[in-house]
Amino acid sequence: MELYVSAIAIWVLIYTLMATGLALQYGFTGLINFGVVGFVAIGAYGSGILSQHGVPVWLSIPAGAALAGLAAYPLGRVTLRLGGDYLAIVTLGFSETVRIFIIKEEWLTRGTHGMPGLPRIFEDWAGRSSGDLTLLVLLVAVNVVIFLLMRGLIRSPFGRILAAVRDNEVAAKALGKDTASFKTRALMIGSALCGLGGAFQAHYITFIGPEQYVPLMTFYVWIAIMIGGAVSIRGIVVGTVILIGFLEGSRFLRDVFGGISEVQLASVRFWLIGMALICTVLYRPQGLFGERTKGTN
Amino acid sequence: MVESFGFNRRQFGGLVAGLTASLGAGSAWAQNTRPFKLGALNSITGAGGVYGPGMLEAIKLAVKEVNDAGGAAGRKFEIFAEDDQTRADAAVLAAKKLVEITKVEAIVGIWPSAVQLAVMPITNAAGIITMNTSGAPEIDENDKLDLVWQFYGSNVIFGRAFAETVRKLGYKRPGVMAFNNATMLAQARYFQKTWEEKGDKVVDFIPYEPNQTSYRTELDRLLSKKPDIISASSYLPDLTIILKEWYQSGIPCKFIAPGWSANETLARTLGADVVDGILSVSNVPATQNPAFKHFSSAFKAATGREPETFAAASYDMVICLALALQAAGAEATPAQIASKIRTVAEQPGKKVSSFAEGRELLLKGEKIDFDGASAPLTFTPEGRSTPDFGIYEFQKDKLVLKEVIRLT
Repeated sequence: MELYVSAIAIWVLIYTLMATGLALQYGFTGLINFGVVGFVAIGAYGSGILSQHGVPVWLSIPAGAALAGLAAYPLGRVTLRLGGDYLAIVTLGFSETVRIFIIKEEWLTRGTHGMPGLPRIFEDWAGRSSGDLTLLVLLVAVNVVIFLLMRGLIRSPFGRILAAVRDNEVAAKALGKDTASFKTRALMIGSALCGLGGAFQAHYITFIGPEQYVPLMTFYVWIAIMIGGAVSIRGIVVGTVILIGFLEGSRFLRDVFGGISEVQLASVRFWLIGMALICTVLYRPQGLFGERTKGTN
Repeated sequence: MVESFGFNRRQFGGLVAGLTASLGAGSAWAQNTRPFKLGALNSITGAGGVYGPGMLEAIKLAVKEVNDAGGAAGRKFEIFAEDDQTRADAAVLAAKKLVEITKVEAIVGIWPSAVQLAVMPITNAAGIITMNTSGAPEIDENDKLDLVWQFYGSNVIFGRAFAETVRKLGYKRPGVMAFNNATMLAQARYFQKTWEEKGDKVVDFIPYEPNQTSYRTELDRLLSKKPDIISASSYLPDLTIILKEWYQSGIPCKFIAPGWSANETLARTLGADVVDGILSVSNVPATQNPAFKHFSSAFKAATGREPETFAAASYDMVICLALALQAAGAEATPAQIASKIRTVAEQPGKKVSSFAEGRELLLKGEKIDFDGASAPLTFTPEGRSTPDFGIYEFQKDKLVLKEVIRLT
């Protein structure tokens, strides 16, 4: 039982990393990034490929995150004149481009065959069950560090400019700030966090394939920050817990309500998530722990 | 005078022995009737959602058959079903729930290779059996514990079967279309490799993306090369679109496709004019075997449609597992049960086609050979079933068996 609970907790912490990255981009900077899964994939494949070429996992994971952050740079420079819906469309196209690249460049990624047998973190010395618990502790530590860094960032002059860009970009420009540069940096940092989540996920599942990196994952992360609140660390955590709670908790519905078939449960799961999102948007658009901010895209 | 209800030592000893024996027998009885927890990890949603519900239905039918016959080694089967969403990441959590919360002793009905590869470390670490219809050769390579069983031919075998069929029927200019996933691409590549081993060339090789509403571009590109036959490594939804668009083009060409897509559902959807003459390659004895006939009529009664080959394979998984449990005994571990799978499914042994038939013979101490609804079930050392292939042709809207080919 404890291994299953730790698996759920690991999943929550991985998605929290992704949600933190998106919150920095959207909640604090106002960037609508619909390409989250593309950066997750870059982190996963970056780390996976490096680890299969002998790079130790403790190096390949941050390297995967760094690759995801670097991949955001050209995207940022090219697209950050766009705002709102246009940026969303371009980033969605970017994530699909990443997936098609993974499929087509078989020499590098094994294409649709996927990459099985990725090394697990800690398994060499901890074994399977202890490895899970050790990973859980590591992820808690990583998330705590990230949250502390985020809090410092948001409270810093850099963070204040991001808030200004989000609330009124014209005014920020009028004060002489290079808003494109700040937005690009926010995009890169957020994407690196998404890539970090992807790298951890890859070495936890030990198999990655292009069929995992579809827009559905992007929208899961969006749901998490919309339900919890995109400008609050508490909101990010609570939103992710609620999301994973719905996704995984719904498996137990059939244990309670025996009359639900498996086919019905699949629909019920998505219905529950959809309803949670609709209710949030209608009655609490800033999320459970969010604040209404002016000029939020 | 005080009456005594005491026992003498002999009587007391007998009473204690009797009580101990009855308690022991009671617990043994309780253990023998302990249900066998069976996990069903099916693709109810996602790309595999076309086949997953049918596979789960087949598993339920097989479990009912086993339980109606009194269970295997006195143990009735209990199903715990989860949806893997045709994704490795979702499958990992589903498998963890089955293994660590429900504590299943086997997981059956896995369809995609990605899911089997992702859950294999979890199930192997727990020492439980998994059974799948996945085609990736990596599964065979990574299964070191003989706990993973493939009730389907590998991509290599399928690709070769298609190529040998096309050559046998006298075609000279095959073209290839392939659904862009690991299984179909691999199958198509093995077709191409087998075809080109004899110095010939395919006219073109075109992978296509899933979930499109039209494949006109890919089809036109291939038809422009004037193939005399197109080998379509496809699933039912995409083959339906491809054949519709081919028919609309009016360009004469034959098609050969796998039995899970070129089946009677295709014929009902498109009509006799479109499917007439299309070749379908399937496991046999898909329609000849008594197990298939018996399973098919139960499946049709439950769902109103014919079963496709993955559903038949799922049925075989449960029956095979139940017979292996019967042979291994109620207290057997999953590894011990797995060691009996070949014993009950391969020669020498008397041919059986149902659980009840097999169980009766096993109880008499006889050897059995279960021929399944999907295939005769002869397993390679890696645990993969190597089917015979039947070449079927649509005559109007009915599939007619033309011949059987056996590959080694």
